[in-house]
Amino acid sequence: MLKKNTIREFREILGSNNCWNRPEDVICYSYDAAYEEPVSPDIVVKPGNYNQVSKIIGLCAEENIPLVIRGAGTNLSGGTVPLSGGCVLLTTGLNRILEFNKEDLYAVVQAGVITAELALEAEKNGLFYPPDPASMKVSTIGGNVAENAGGLRGLKYGVTKDYLMGVRFYDAEGNLIIGGGKTVKHATGFNLPGLMISSEGLLGVMVEFILRVIPKPEYSKSLMVVYNDIIRACETVSEIIASRIFPATIEILDNFTIKAVREAIKTEFPAGADALLLIEIDGHPEVVNKDFDRILKICNSFNGTVRVANNKDERDKVWEARRMALSSLSRLRPTVILEDATVPRSKVPAMMKAIQEISKKHDITIGTFGHAGDGNLHPTILTDKRDRDEMKRVKMSIDEIFHAALKLDGTLTGEHGIGFLKAGYLEGELGAGTVNFMKKLKHGIDSKNILNPHKMNL
Amino acid sequence: MAGIIYELSQLEDSIIRCMKCGTCQAVCPLYRKDLVEPSVARGKIALIESVYEGRLEKAGDILNHLEYCVLCGRCKQNCPSNVKTDEIFLKARAVLKKIKKMPGWQKSLLGFVMDHPERVTKLLPFLHVCLKAGSRRVGNNALRPFMLPMSDRNVVSVKKESFVSKYKGFNYAENERMRVLYYPGCSVNYIYTSWGKAVVETLKYFGVSVYVPEIARCCGIPAATMGDIELYRKMVNLNFDYFSSIGADYVITSCPTCEYGLKEIGERETKRKIPSRVIDILIFLDEVLKIDFTMPFDKKISFHLPCHYDCSYSDLPEKFLQRHFSSNYIPLKNTDCCGFGGTFSLKYYRDSKELALAKAEELGDKKIDTLFTACPGCAMHLTDALVSAGCKTEVLNPIEVLYEGIKSGVPNRN
Repeated sequence: MLKKNTIREFREILGSNNCWNRPEDVICYSYDAAYEEPVSPDIVVKPGNYNQVSKIIGLCAEENIPLVIRGAGTNLSGGTVPLSGGCVLLTTGLNRILEFNKEDLYAVVQAGVITAELALEAEKNGLFYPPDPASMKVSTIGGNVAENAGGLRGLKYGVTKDYLMGVRFYDAEGNLIIGGGKTVKHATGFNLPGLMISSEGLLGVMVEFILRVIPKPEYSKSLMVVYNDIIRACETVSEIIASRIFPATIEILDNFTIKAVREAIKTEFPAGADALLLIEIDGHPEVVNKDFDRILKICNSFNGTVRVANNKDERDKVWEARRMALSSLSRLRPTVILEDATVPRSKVPAMMKAIQEISKKHDITIGTFGHAGDGNLHPTILTDKRDRDEMKRVKMSIDEIFHAALKLDGTLTGEHGIGFLKAGYLEGELGAGTVNFMKKLKHGIDSKNILNPHKMNL
Repeated sequence: MAGIIYELSQLEDSIIRCMKCGTCQAVCPLYRKDLVEPSVARGKIALIESVYEGRLEKAGDILNHLEYCVLCGRCKQNCPSNVKTDEIFLKARAVLKKIKKMPGWQKSLLGFVMDHPERVTKLLPFLHVCLKAGSRRVGNNALRPFMLPMSDRNVVSVKKESFVSKYKGFNYAENERMRVLYYPGCSVNYIYTSWGKAVVETLKYFGVSVYVPEIARCCGIPAATMGDIELYRKMVNLNFDYFSSIGADYVITSCPTCEYGLKEIGERETKRKIPSRVIDILIFLDEVLKIDFTMPFDKKISFHLPCHYDCSYSDLPEKFLQRHFSSNYIPLKNTDCCGFGGTFSLKYYRDSKELALAKAEELGDKKIDTLFTACPGCAMHLTDALVSAGCKTEVLNPIEVLYEGIKSGVPNRN
């Protein structure tokens, strides 16, 4: 509970319209898109300028109030849940694109800018901002940086970290820190943008970013490949990469997901297929066509039946169906748990096999789809959180999925972050020494541990 | 209190489908304005959940948040998990109204208007004169009342004579090929009487005879949004009984919210099947009568799609305008809700107007002469905003222009 005086001080900084502490207001910030138990903050604030941000941090530091930063709250690992109450700081009020530089190919944006808006702004200028997390219509750039968000285009274009040139943030005492800049080369001081990527709100309050944009590819081609055996589909992916071809996207959908999408929407997805690959190649027309022929051969050699999207309409339909994967699955059972264990690309077939075995062993429904091209699968567990017995088996399945990924030289999370849902597994992947190093780093920067405490077990 | 919690917990099966993904933020007009969670469907769902899961003691406190919703339905249409948000919110409002009761005068007024439409009709000349005497003209046929709390609104006045008192009964078409029932709804009956006239006359011109009710009963939606679900059910039942007694295949409407209230939630709340197909006049002209004509309307025009317009025909009105009127059609970039939401605009006028003003600004910038819409509520609210923004754009239903054309003999019957 906050003291009355403290609440008054918050109001003095923000005005009463941007500061809430009634139960029916703060409860709306007790959750994010992960499936954890809700915890309410004591106060929610929506600063409209950097000065207010700095003052809020100062007040929290002085009063030892935990401070959790929140954009759109689409986090899938519980990172924005205020585990020990305190203050939730919304970045939604800091939502301006400050500069879009067509000559030097970068954009300067505030933390609350919505990913899709930046992508649209780039497109208007004939440019391209590739990271496209599924939540991009609502997710904020601040959240994308804090979680190192990926998306469908990771294979060729990388993820958010590959576009971050600079960052401005406030440290745990409210001082402004400037990292990186507007130049392509930048070797001045520590690589602070690199430090802040995936920092999940533990190291500072990020308010502004400089992001790289690139020329838009001039031509693209999409194809859908149908398989009778999902393992053959996974082997195709490994072979495409091994042949040094880099499509913009290779997505995979398993039999269960295909069925779910077919039930949810009218789609061209073939009934009875064990797996589908959706591939998009883009770039210079000549290269695209050449790569296309090579991919065709590879697909055929793994018994895939290729269907080409002949026009924009057909192509849009295929990708629309892919975007419907998660929601189509989510309609089947009350609770959806979306995992994102990731493995090196050559291990995708082995990972897929492991997921199938785990699903059978624990009698748990798992639909798998995902970004096969970058090894980032999304085993999606369908369950009902009210069924305690089933939830126990779900928990065991998740454990085993993580262990399988680690055994295959993979990682706990490709793009959803650790938050607190995966905090318990962190040491298993990184070792005690690394976690200790992270702890020292965190506590050195934030000695009172007010910035998003308890996340990543720190 | 235990009863309330039990009743809310009955919503759990619908609510648990919400995976809190937050997609609704992208489409919620109020979230995009406020950028805070209580404005958006996900927040409201979390609030209901927190009451029946015992995390929020004072259940009544969430009612304000639940009522802060235009019920435009965008969250439902775009929900990946198919959560029936409007259904959840209307039910929760009805349950919570048992603790936070409607003020007595509101309940009596609501009951009076719904139970005694004939008496409201009798009061019309009086209301009309009062409003006229108590306001000044502000253009676009709107009036600005002198008296608080209405003095910041530009009101489209009630007419001296209601639509049904002029057109009630059977309106016979000479070259009759079909008979339909026209359901005007309150806004057309009392305010936009010209829409009603245009609907009946146009239908007659195309050989469709029209029954107009002797008594224009409310569809009940205002009762539902204010949480009086019993009164709402009663109105839907009365209307369904009336439709059955006429037995027409089609019930024509010119108010999408009436249509939504009767069809979608009406059927659900009364567990009855609607006896006739309720259909918007433009859809009827296009799909059933298949009318085909082009008439001159030499203006810069645009269209505002009402939220409750039949979503399987959402691009029909726009095409209708482009196909039938030779005008300069300019689509609007802002496709948001106008913000009216009926009772929402009474309780949260300032927020409601903010949304309409954003639309008015674009209409002004693009110098649109005529904005078409298909809902009297939108028309009323947008007129208010346009006058406030000092914008000369007039707001019409396409049927009005079509009827003008008929009078001057333009469209051919076929």
